[in-house]
Amino acid sequence: MERSLTFEHDLAAMLPRLRRFAHALSRNPADADDLTQATIERALRSKAQWQAGTRLDSWLFRIMRNLWIDTVRSRSRKEKFESLAEELEKLGEDPRGAIEASLELQRVMAAMERLPDEQREVVALILIEGFGYRETAEMLDLPIGTVSSRLVRGRTALLELVGM
Amino acid sequence: MMTDETLFAWLDGELDAEQAARVAAEVAADPALSKRVAEHRSMHARLKHAFDGLLDAPVPERFSGAVSTPEVVDFAAAKRSREGRAGASLPRWAALAATLAVGILVGTMVPRGSNAPVELQDGKVYAAAALDDALNRQLASAPGGDVRIGLTFRDQRGAICRSFTQTAASGLACRDSGRWQVRGLFATPEGQAGTYRMAAGPDPNLAALIDSTMVGGPLTADQEKSAQAGAWH
Repeated sequence: MERSLTFEHDLAAMLPRLRRFAHALSRNPADADDLTQATIERALRSKAQWQAGTRLDSWLFRIMRNLWIDTVRSRSRKEKFESLAEELEKLGEDPRGAIEASLELQRVMAAMERLPDEQREVVALILIEGFGYRETAEMLDLPIGTVSSRLVRGRTALLELVGM
Repeated sequence: MMTDETLFAWLDGELDAEQAARVAAEVAADPALSKRVAEHRSMHARLKHAFDGLLDAPVPERFSGAVSTPEVVDFAAAKRSREGRAGASLPRWAALAATLAVGILVGTMVPRGSNAPVELQDGKVYAAAALDDALNRQLASAPGGDVRIGLTFRDQRGAICRSFTQTAASGLACRDSGRWQVRGLFATPEGQAGTYRMAAGPDPNLAALIDSTMVGGPLTADQEKSAQAGAWH
């Protein structure tokens, strides 16, 4: 029981970082908070699979990244058929999330949004979350050389997009 | 000519000392490269700054596991308004951390069917099952069962409140429309389970919540009995 309480405390402490990572991956603040919520729920359900003594942050980021990939994939399948419906839905969407996010955050999110998914996740983990190349490669199950070359491409594109 | 991979690995502190020194020298000797490095550093700083704003932003209530508990927020707000007062106040982050712990704990407690100690109604959290039972029947002066009642007192509106301790959590519930509304629920910190935690006294967050809720002193054993006889009105 003590262990599970520690888990919940640590998870609560991770919420701000989970939200930050979710915003780096998602196309808007509302999606980011949906992703954060889904990650918390999944983590609570799967906590038996987390090994005490290993890093909780990597474990949680991995869950979030996999959930994000699932949504992105199912969305791109759906969008072929439902893009009009989704556009209409957006018109009625609650704008609070967008207002809460600062203008600057919206700008960088828009730039991140234009990166291909595989570059965006690498940029998010290394440049925003501060993971090392090796840790990132392990989290994403990729060779370190792939991580490094995706980072080059993502960062070069971002410089153009953010326009320094 | 050095690759972009190497240049960025240097920027990210991924190179060993010898390689890093080589790249640094090359960058210093090349104005065009220096400019590019400066642009990338500045872009990275801007990106980081924009996203880091989220670390200080309040975490939305919805992450308390689909549970919205306005009372918990009231507690945090009450704490903030009291912060000017001398003594007794915990830092604001402590109240915030307590709020998060409450949400997560409630989130995991709610879905477990009819034996869950709390349930939701109209967005409020109420005591249920064994907890509700203990709050109704148990006297602080005559403990028994898994739930221990701590203090019984009245709040600003005159409603009866009772603090309680279970194996995994302690909290505060007050009468609201004929039920026990849970005003705060705090997970027992690691290493303080069971008897040690009782000896150690109430959770500091719970103590702060009680302190901010109680008007007058705790009820005496006789007052508690008569409050129970009057169905906790």
